[in-house]
Amino acid sequence: MHLQLITLSGVQLDTDIYELIAPTSTGEIAVFPDHQNLVTVAVPGALAVRHNKDDGDDKLEYFAISGGVIEVTPKSIRVLVDQADHGDDIVEAESHAALERALKLREETDDQIELEQARQLIDRQTVRLKVAELRRRHRR
Amino acid sequence: MASTQALKSRIRSVKSTRQITKAMQLVAASKMRRAQESTLASTPYATAARQLLTTMSRRTNVRQHPLFKHRPIATRLLIVIASDKGLAGAYNSNILKLYAQQLHGDDVEGIKNTTISVGRRAAQFVARLKDTEVLGAYEELSDQSDSRELQAIKDQALELYSSGQVDAVDIIYTDFISSINQQAVIRRILPAGFEPDSTISDNEDVLYEPDLTTLLDSVAHRLVGAQIYQALLDARASEHSMRMLAMKNATDNASDLIDDLTLAMNKARQAAITQELAEISGGVEAISE
Repeated sequence: MHLQLITLSGVQLDTDIYELIAPTSTGEIAVFPDHQNLVTVAVPGALAVRHNKDDGDDKLEYFAISGGVIEVTPKSIRVLVDQADHGDDIVEAESHAALERALKLREETDDQIELEQARQLIDRQTVRLKVAELRRRHRR
Repeated sequence: MASTQALKSRIRSVKSTRQITKAMQLVAASKMRRAQESTLASTPYATAARQLLTTMSRRTNVRQHPLFKHRPIATRLLIVIASDKGLAGAYNSNILKLYAQQLHGDDVEGIKNTTISVGRRAAQFVARLKDTEVLGAYEELSDQSDSRELQAIKDQALELYSSGQVDAVDIIYTDFISSINQQAVIRRILPAGFEPDSTISDNEDVLYEPDLTTLLDSVAHRLVGAQIYQALLDARASEHSMRMLAMKNATDNASDLIDDLTLAMNKARQAAITQELAEISGGVEAISE
């Protein structure tokens, strides 16, 4: 089954996989080969990719994604999201610091625009931290 | 004839100017390449969004969706993208000329006009105008796809359009056709248009979750975002490529000037030597007589 992970800054992943676990607006779904045709809304969260059938959970490849659209056919999956950060690229300490900064900003500011920015930052960093945690748990 | 000293110092100053323009040329060249790469990288996203819309348009009348529906235009929003810095040849004047033409055209047709400016040069120009309402001015945009400014522009445009405050959104930017050919163009972003992609086979049996309307909304928003982003990248690549050309011309001119000045200096030097010799031999002649 072919997976394409497409973001505005480029195609992040273009490869054959066995299973995709994705967060959608109706809950988390797992997609295996020969899935029914499906188009669904992706929500911010952790996207997990199992490359081979015998791969254990410790070999899952994680991405922190923002909202988007997922298109599934029996032979292929196309994930269209605004941003996707690879699990390996996420530095937990940095995300923690950024999250704290954003939380502080939300507390202190009265400015609507800054508030909105803070909210976006919090969402993004929370997702990244979740991905980092998932990876840690499975690699132990 | 100017003195050798004066010529020498002029040559020195032109040389240092040439060094600066040369450096700016190289910097612009590398920035242009980066912007070009980003443009290429963002293409699959827009393509995928368009293909998804094609698939969905078989099941529902896409054109009935608010973002796609055409309505009579009474007000429109212009997003004009110019640069923050100058020294880029005719880049800014081309854009602003097209923008002024559009404003004039709207005046004639009685369309009310609002503007969002991107780049300092555009902001300065727009601030002096009376016949448009400025809704936003953005400067120093980063060329990241997740930049806040980009999000803000997209949200503002969508909000204005959805709430009916404007009936169309156009973006004025410089289309990057090649590194020697760039053109100021105007594109309509909203109501969104899309060309059905004929390469996709008909697939009746598709499950849409949670429902088609929500999905259509999501894809349409993404398509609009991608279009604005691509316009920004194109503008960026054009700016750098025009700056590169302007700086290349400046460097060439400086080289020509240095050649001319060097020639003049050598002539002056030679003239001085000749004159001195003539004076000496004149003196010798006078003594020997």
